[in-house]
Amino acid sequence: MNISSALVFGNNEYGQEIAKNVTHKYSSITIFSLEDIDKDDNSAFKLEQFDLSEDWDELNEQYDMDSSIIFCAINEEAKNIFLTISLRSSFKDITIIALAKNNEDANKLKMAGASKVIPIVETTANIITDMLKKPIITEVLHNILYEESRLKIIQVTLSSVDAFTGLYPAEIDWSKKYGVLVLTIVHEDDSHEFIYSSKTKHNYLKSGDVLIVAGYEEDLQNFKHSIGGE
Amino acid sequence: MNSFTRYIVDFAYFLKTSNRYQKRRRFFFNVLENDEYYYKKYFDIFMMLLIFSSVSTLIYGVKNDVPEALDAFNSYIISFIFFVEYIFRLWISSSVSKVIIHQDEYSDLLGRDFDMVFVIKRVFHDKLQYVLSPKAIIDFLAIMPFFHELRLLRVFILFRVFKLFRYTRSFQTFSSVLVSKRFEFFTLGMFASIVIFVSSVLIYMMEATNPASPIDTLYEAFYWSIVTISTVGYGDVVAVSPEGQFVAILVIFAGIAVLAFTTSLFVSAFTEKIEDIKESKTIQDIMKLNQIYLICGYENIAKEVAKKLLRDNLNVVVIDSLPERIENAKRDSLNALHYNPGSMESYKKLNINLSTQVKAILCLQEDDVANVYTALTVRSIDKDVKIMSLLMNKVHRNKLTNSGVNEILYDKEFVGLIAREYVGQPVAFEAIYTIRSEYTNIIMHEIVVTERISQTISTLKELQNVKYRVVLLGLYKKKNKRFFFNPIESTLLETGDYLLVIGNYMFIKEFAKFLSTK
Repeated sequence: MNISSALVFGNNEYGQEIAKNVTHKYSSITIFSLEDIDKDDNSAFKLEQFDLSEDWDELNEQYDMDSSIIFCAINEEAKNIFLTISLRSSFKDITIIALAKNNEDANKLKMAGASKVIPIVETTANIITDMLKKPIITEVLHNILYEESRLKIIQVTLSSVDAFTGLYPAEIDWSKKYGVLVLTIVHEDDSHEFIYSSKTKHNYLKSGDVLIVAGYEEDLQNFKHSIGGE
Repeated sequence: MNSFTRYIVDFAYFLKTSNRYQKRRRFFFNVLENDEYYYKKYFDIFMMLLIFSSVSTLIYGVKNDVPEALDAFNSYIISFIFFVEYIFRLWISSSVSKVIIHQDEYSDLLGRDFDMVFVIKRVFHDKLQYVLSPKAIIDFLAIMPFFHELRLLRVFILFRVFKLFRYTRSFQTFSSVLVSKRFEFFTLGMFASIVIFVSSVLIYMMEATNPASPIDTLYEAFYWSIVTISTVGYGDVVAVSPEGQFVAILVIFAGIAVLAFTTSLFVSAFTEKIEDIKESKTIQDIMKLNQIYLICGYENIAKEVAKKLLRDNLNVVVIDSLPERIENAKRDSLNALHYNPGSMESYKKLNINLSTQVKAILCLQEDDVANVYTALTVRSIDKDVKIMSLLMNKVHRNKLTNSGVNEILYDKEFVGLIAREYVGQPVAFEAIYTIRSEYTNIIMHEIVVTERISQTISTLKELQNVKYRVVLLGLYKKKNKRFFFNPIESTLLETGDYLLVIGNYMFIKEFAKFLSTK
C-alpha cells in the first residue's frame, strides 16, 4: 500500500480549494469533516467524518502515512490547533500544513507541530499589496508559480560539484552557460543565500546544496543533466 | 414687453450663456468664497497682511507721527483694496441675471407680462440681505478709514481685525461652535442682564445716599455690578453699608453661577462639535492627497493591507460604516472617516476626484453583499477607477464581476494555489516566499525605463546589473504586454518597459540610481 495521500481536515471552502489544487500530486485525496456528512453531497473528493477525540493511529490502517501530507483547515482556530497537536503526536515525521487566521494563531500552530503555516489574513494582504505596488512582478510570478507556463522555478539538489570546482557561485555566468537564472542557494542547514550575497561570493558550492533556479522547462532539464542534479 | 425690458432680458441670457463671463464670475467666487480653491489661501494671506499692517500703523500712530506715505497707504490704498473686495463680494453674493431669467420664464409660462418691478425688488432684497449680513457690515466698516479726516472714523481701522474671521478657518470654526449654542448663550445673557440691572438699581438705592460710599451715580452702580458679577472685583468701587454688602453677597453668588454656566456652555459646545471639526480637518487633508488607495471597510485583511501600504508611505484613506472600526483605523494613524462605503453621499462628502486622485478602490469588507453594493456605487460615479474586491463565497464571483470590479481577491483560491506550489516544490516555494516577504533584505523590484534611461542605455548589455549584484529576472515590454525572461543582451530598451530585478534592496536602489543618472 504505497499510495500517496492528501488528508484535508475541514470540509469548507479552504479545504475544497486545497484538495482541488493538490490532485495532480496525490493519488488519493480525502476530506475530513467535523460535521455530519450530507449523503447527497456532490463533492468531487472522498468525504469522511471525524471528531477531535479520535485515535489517529487508525489512519495508519487506511493510508500510507509515510507518503502522505496533512492539511489542517478547520475554521475554528482552537480546534485546528488541537487537531494539529493531536496529529503531530501520532505522526512525528509527516508534513502538516495548517491554516491560521492571523500571525498569533500561526505561532501557536507552529508550536503545535505544523511543518508549514499559511496565515490567511497576512497572505491575502501580501498578495493584494503586491498587486498594487508591483503589478508586473506579481503577474509574472503568478504565471510562473501557479499557471500553466513553460517558465518554471525549480529546486535542483547538487549531488556532485565537479562542474564548479574552483568557482564561486556568483562568478558563474549561469545565464550564458545554461540559459537559466540561479536565484538562491539553500544549504544543508536550510539557510537561504541569495546568489549575489556576500556569503555566496566567498563560499564554494557543496554537494547537497539546493539551487533555486528559474528558466524554461527544456533549459532546466538540460541544466539538471549538465550538472548531474536531482 | 417694451424694448428696454427686452434688452435687459436679452442681456441676462447673454451673460448666462457667456463662457467668458461665467468663467470670470466663477474665478472670483473661488478666490473669495471657495475654501477648496487652491489659490484662495494666497488671497487670504495677502488680505491678512493688509489688516496687520493697518492695525500696526494705528498702534504706532498713537504716540508717534506716522510717515505721510504710510498714512496714505493705510487710509487710501488699503481702503481702496477693501472697497474693491466689497464690490466683488456684493457682485457674487447673488446673480441678477438669474433673477431676470427666472422671471422671464415664469412670465412666459403663465402668459403674463414681464414684471420689472418684481425683478428690481427681488434683486434689491437679495443684495440688501447680503449688505446687512454681519460679515458684510464688518467689510463696510473696514472701508470707513478712507474718510480718515473725520478722526472718529480712524477707530474703524480696528474693524479690519474682525475681517480676519473671513480669512482664517479656525475663527470660522470658533464662531460656528458658538452659533450652535446661541439659544443657551442668549438665555445666559438675559439672566446676567437682569441680575446686573436689578443689582445696579438696588446698590444705587442702598449706597447713593451714603456719603461714605464711592457709589454716587447709577453709572457707578452699574460699573460695580459688572465688576462683581464677573467675579473680577477690582475693589476700586465697593459697597460700605450692610444693606449694600448684602446685595454684594447675592451678586457674587449669581456671578459664580454665571461663570460656571458660561464655562460649561463653551466646553459642551466644543465637545459636541469636536467630531465635526476633526472630520472636516480629515477631509481637508484627504483633498490634498493624490494617488490615494481608498479602503472600504476596515476588517482583518484591510488592516494588514493598510499597514503594508502605509509602511511604503503611500496615501491610504479608510471609510467604514462602523464607528469602532474607524476608531481602530485612526489609532493605526490612518485618514479614516465614518462614512458608509455603499452610499453615494460618502464620496460626495469626501470631495475627491476618483479618476485623478484615486489609484485604486479596495472593497475589503468581509461580506460579498456589501462589496457588490460598494462596487456598484463607485462604478456609478466613475467608470474607469480601478476597483479590487474581496470575494468571500465563490458563488458570488459573477456578481462582483458584473458590478464592475477589476480584480477579484478570493483568499481561498490563494490558499489553494499556495498549497499546490508548496506540495510541488517546497524548497523553491520557501525561497520565493522569503524573497517576496520583504522581511529579508532581498527583494523583487520593478524599475520602469524612463525616457532618460532609454536615451543613455540602448541595450541590456549596457545595464551592468551584475556589477551591482542584481539579478535581471526579465524585461516586460509595455508595448506588447509581454514578459521576456532572461532576455539576450542585444535586447533593446524602450521607454515604458519594466526591468524585473531581484537583489539586496540597497543594491537595487544603487542600481536604479545608476540607471537614472548615467
